[in-house]
Amino acid sequence: MGETKWDSAAASLQAVRCVALLLAAVILSWSLQAHAIPVFNRQTGQNCVACHAGGQFPDLTPYGRIFKLTGYTIGEHALPLAAMAVASVNKTQKTSSPDPEFDERAGFPKDGNLIFSTASVFLAGRITNNLGAFVQVTYNNYDAQSPSNSHWTGHTSSDNLDLRYADRYISPGSDFIFGATMNNNPTVQDPWNSVPAWGYNVVPGSSGPGATPLIAGGLAQNVAGWGGYVFWNRTIYAEVTGYRTANGVWSFMSQGFNTERDDMQIVKGTNPYWRLALAHEWGPHSAMIGTYGMDAHVFPDPTDPAGSTNHFRDAALDAQYQYLLDPHAITVTATYIHEKVDYADSVAGQPHPLDPDGTLGLPLTNSSDTLRMFRAKASYVYQARYGGSLSYFDVSGTSNPALQTSAFDPANPGELLEGSQGVTGNLSGNPGTRAWTGGVFWTPVQYARVGLEYTAFTRFNGASTNYDGFGRNAHDNNTVFLYVWGAF
Amino acid sequence: MKNPILAAIVLAACAGCASPERSRALNDPAIPPLATVQQVCSNCHGMDGNAPSSNFPRLAAQPPAYLVAQLKAFRSHGRSDPAGFEYMWGLSRHLTDAQIDGIAAYFAAQAILPNPSKADPALIARGREIFDKGVASRELPACASCHGDRGQGKDGFPRLAGQHAEYVMKQLNVFYATEQRPEGAVMKVIAHKLESADMPAVAAYVQSQAGS
Repeated sequence: MGETKWDSAAASLQAVRCVALLLAAVILSWSLQAHAIPVFNRQTGQNCVACHAGGQFPDLTPYGRIFKLTGYTIGEHALPLAAMAVASVNKTQKTSSPDPEFDERAGFPKDGNLIFSTASVFLAGRITNNLGAFVQVTYNNYDAQSPSNSHWTGHTSSDNLDLRYADRYISPGSDFIFGATMNNNPTVQDPWNSVPAWGYNVVPGSSGPGATPLIAGGLAQNVAGWGGYVFWNRTIYAEVTGYRTANGVWSFMSQGFNTERDDMQIVKGTNPYWRLALAHEWGPHSAMIGTYGMDAHVFPDPTDPAGSTNHFRDAALDAQYQYLLDPHAITVTATYIHEKVDYADSVAGQPHPLDPDGTLGLPLTNSSDTLRMFRAKASYVYQARYGGSLSYFDVSGTSNPALQTSAFDPANPGELLEGSQGVTGNLSGNPGTRAWTGGVFWTPVQYARVGLEYTAFTRFNGASTNYDGFGRNAHDNNTVFLYVWGAF
Repeated sequence: MKNPILAAIVLAACAGCASPERSRALNDPAIPPLATVQQVCSNCHGMDGNAPSSNFPRLAAQPPAYLVAQLKAFRSHGRSDPAGFEYMWGLSRHLTDAQIDGIAAYFAAQAILPNPSKADPALIARGREIFDKGVASRELPACASCHGDRGQGKDGFPRLAGQHAEYVMKQLNVFYATEQRPEGAVMKVIAHKLESADMPAVAAYVQSQAGS
């Protein structure tokens, strides 16, 4: 692992202190449980395990999927408020770089520190016989860091939102659920956990891939979508939704996101999203194979949404298998997303980022790219209390000079160009990143989870070794992630 | 574009208010039992009561008195085994007696489907012997003496024929090790006389019973 703070005695002491604080947080959350329960539990009166596999959010059971697709309307009116909070420690294997410009404190500002990372408030539940909502607002305690004094400022913004209308005609031999959804994140409306919004890196602050296809969170909380779906005989699910920019009267779905903060994308017109899934349940098993995708036009400069757009065509396959027989719960998910993007005139064929004048003769940026992402996750939970998971992702795609944030000087081989970046730099211009994550967790009470995850990168920014030109290897980004996740 | 969508949602929502026959509300005495069966119970127990997953009991052809007693025990928290409090306490908490009677009558009227066991035939044969004759040396009475010669159940004694073996095992263990089902206290004595080695045999046999 080399010379890192992780090895130092000071870091060990800090780690011990962090664990003690995390345990204190668990005990505190325990004491809060007696009179406070999450909103859907209040609505149905059921335990988490009814809707979540092994009681673990967000993996849904077959019943949980029906609960969602019938518009969150099973049960009775209840106080529609709940809250969730996460405290965590993230430790990266190596936080230093030979790059003299690299500022370790700025590059890994929270590394090794116990942080109260995010907290969410949920407004959710049954509204009428056919109408229900799931609305999440999240406070990020570490939104921005002051360059002058390094102090963090928090920020509150919209998170996932899904408002539904649903109805169901059912009789022996026939079951037809249909509904409409209004949501702000493509795939957030899906009832399976193989899709990007609910499948992977669900614990806030956990490690994931850098470059991802647009459909994997690229438009989250930036868009407003309206769609319709059907679920026939718990076998065939089909949905079509159109997404537009969540501005004007729909800006409540993107509150806290704006172009000045550089976290708001502007899409052109209405952009279609589609989903088809084939599901089957037999005994304690359930399985699904499906496909989903999106065709989206995104303005390259959100502050000037005019002219030609980046055209994303995302098409994905996904699958899920579940075995639920108390006290065992197994969930396995996988998805493969293929993305083709044709860039706008203002993006394609532009000078290399490290050769803006074109004097070095570095190649111009691509006019189109392909990005592929494969993700898979398997988890097992015993007695809704003890669990473990293993997940894998592999992002690959075409190399593009636009991504090349580190480069050698063609005139002086072996010399990096001015502006090359240590740690975050990408010498190859390739987005390829690959990692395994193994984790264990413990749910002492159904509203609190303590977990430990280790993510091992075998490829980062297109290479396994010296991906930034400064000698940094993919495994230097390996992380240990310890968290306490509570819902009240 | 914007206002018509909003108006459509509001209209659709209001239209929904007027359809108690497809309501998923669980605290409204006006909701007919069939609606609750269709929209809620069927999700786990199946529309015909033949729960496809062995995580949930089959309710088809159960004696109505047994189903009524269980739903009332869930509602009063008198039955507190995990399957009970995790899934059923909440759903039953505001059902009226009339709704409970209606739900029980519906499932009692459903036909039980065959539920073949994949267990070793020798194990099933052993289960059958215990079911039919009991074990004299342990003063274990025949299961058939209360649950019926074909496991069909009667009054407060549940149908066992066709029930998922996993569910039967879970409940035998609840009786054996806990006080979570006081209404079935008689089964505590039986479960202890049955001994853990014979439980899988009986569970496998009753699942495979065709009943009638």
